[in-house]
Amino acid sequence: MKVSAYPAFTVTAFLSRLVYRNQVWSGVFGELVATFAFIAVWTAAFSGSRNVDGVTLPDMVTYVLIAGPLLNWNTTRYIREVGDSIRNGDVTVFLLKPLHYPALLFFNQLGNNAFEQLTITLPVAVIVALTVGLLPPASPAHGLLFLAFWAVSWCMLFLIATLTGLLAFWLLTAFSLEWFLRGIMALASGAVVPLWFMPGALAALLGHLPFAWVSYYPSAVYLGKLDAPTSGVYLLIGLSWLAALAALAGWLWSRARHRLVVQGG
Amino acid sequence: MPSIIAARGVEKIFRQPRRLPGFIGGLRTLFTREFTEVRAVDGISFDIAAGEATGYLGPNGAGKSTMIKMMTGILVPTAGTLSVLGREPHSNRILNAAEIGVVFGQRSQLWWDLPVRDSFDLNRHIYDIPAGRFTENLRYLTAMLDMGGYIDRPVRQLSLGQRMRAEIAMALLHDPKILFLDEPTIGLDVVAKDAVRKFLAEVNRERGTTIILTTHDLVDIEEICPRLIMVDDGKLLFDGELKRLRATLGSRRRLTLEFAGDPGPIILTSATLTADDGAAKHFLLEDESVSLLDVLEELGRGHGLKDVKLEEPDIEEVIRTFYKTKPQLAGAAP
Ligand SMILES: Nc1ncnc2c1ncn2[C@@H]1O[C@H](COP(=O)(O)OP(=O)(O)OP(=O)(O)O)[C@@H](O)[C@H]1O
Ligand SMILES: [Mg+2]
Repeated sequence: MKVSAYPAFTVTAFLSRLVYRNQVWSGVFGELVATFAFIAVWTAAFSGSRNVDGVTLPDMVTYVLIAGPLLNWNTTRYIREVGDSIRNGDVTVFLLKPLHYPALLFFNQLGNNAFEQLTITLPVAVIVALTVGLLPPASPAHGLLFLAFWAVSWCMLFLIATLTGLLAFWLLTAFSLEWFLRGIMALASGAVVPLWFMPGALAALLGHLPFAWVSYYPSAVYLGKLDAPTSGVYLLIGLSWLAALAALAGWLWSRARHRLVVQGG
Repeated sequence: MPSIIAARGVEKIFRQPRRLPGFIGGLRTLFTREFTEVRAVDGISFDIAAGEATGYLGPNGAGKSTMIKMMTGILVPTAGTLSVLGREPHSNRILNAAEIGVVFGQRSQLWWDLPVRDSFDLNRHIYDIPAGRFTENLRYLTAMLDMGGYIDRPVRQLSLGQRMRAEIAMALLHDPKILFLDEPTIGLDVVAKDAVRKFLAEVNRERGTTIILTTHDLVDIEEICPRLIMVDDGKLLFDGELKRLRATLGSRRRLTLEFAGDPGPIILTSATLTADDGAAKHFLLEDESVSLLDVLEELGRGHGLKDVKLEEPDIEEVIRTFYKTKPQLAGAAP
């Protein structure tokens, strides 16, 4: 098969989600409540001061939206799908086709995610922009850099979720792993509190773990909190993390596949 | 004709850690080195030529699905060699997958939420089917399988019979050289079964697609597959034409003689009495060389014979006899 076949999965996944488009209203509502709750918390925390450690309230409003709904998409559904399809053998349907399963997962999830971004994040962003206001990128260069960080962020979260799903195959308890991951992600990705407000030692530690590339670094780049050369360095570190996680996921998948084809699941 | 599938002493042994009951047992399972072994396929050999239609028959747990999974490359044999289209299927999974079509009666390959057509279209990309070929195949399959009425409906709304026809169409869109079907008629009603059988026989005849199907339903084999491979407990019991199986077991035709009134006991050397209802007497013809004429000649005139009925044994009966007499036959099999 041609490589160009994989994007067809993105389209198919997107169309599948479109069937349940009536369900997006609850998603939009939930996300909107959560976003405004965070904005309210930051407004209270700033309590009238224009500037805390070089960060303004409008910075934080924009940060809440980018670091949260945009970059830190909900992986619950995807992790369940990966774990379940391996455990109940549905994965064999894909093994019967001339396809690489991990690549298929990637493009499939891209379609699912594109759907959620368009139907949930976009309306929420528009509402926040019209009511509270959102900042543009700090500069055109930061805007371009942000796009690169966004791609890294997406792949990073995809790999973290895939690893969790594959691990669930062995541990047979996707549930507890999911909650564990959710806790780690809330803290270490910077989706709730940016690393610049954390104690120095914690920020230094989390700043080197892959989770920080999901929310913190891309948002900081967008807001211009990192200059271009520093951003470049962190982009490279992020890419190295991606390579390492991809290798780990590839290895876990080959173990899982080995077990499927030798032991029959 | 050259064989496109060759199995030589293929074995599959499943080794599963022995599960101990209860929570503590569950924990101990993590550390135990005890295994239960299941010999699902036990030294199977056969050759299948291009264009053949073969039925793979056996009771539950005989190892049919396991064999199909090995031939489609998603399960590795424990021992023996297996070659499909000149390749080892599991080490060439992707190349193999591009040239075969597979239908698992128990597992859908269609996209649940989308119209059937969208799943087909995805296959066009996966197998890189040329546009002209795709349109042509889609038209042929839609007409032959009568899918026009539901091809634009979401899969989750389809009846089982409609879904199964769509599954089969999906597996044929890319012109596979071999079509594997694991229980394609399971759960279908008589009409749907008939439609599927007629279609598969036609695909095999007209397009020359090699077909291998597993089933519990003997009629499937009778209508689609001239060749029968019978397995039980992982072992090969019979491989050959259905006709030969009948011949091997003797035809055991059933004869019913109806008389105007009860003629009293009738004893024949050419036929064995199995039941006596007075005016109707039932016999079994064990010897194939005995003709109806021989029986009537022996009976002679003057019993007030009204009607004669001679029934060929149906395939179910042949197979049942086979399983009953299996010990001797299995010993005699190659
Ligand atoms: N993954 C597995 N792990 C352990 N044992 C297995 C596995 N798959 C199959 N078996 C065992 O192997 C044997 C053959 O199973 P298989 O599914 O091939 O039978 P089958 O002929 O298809 O039966 P059925 O007619 O019920 O579908 C059974 O005893 C089954 O329990
Ligand atoms: Mg089976």
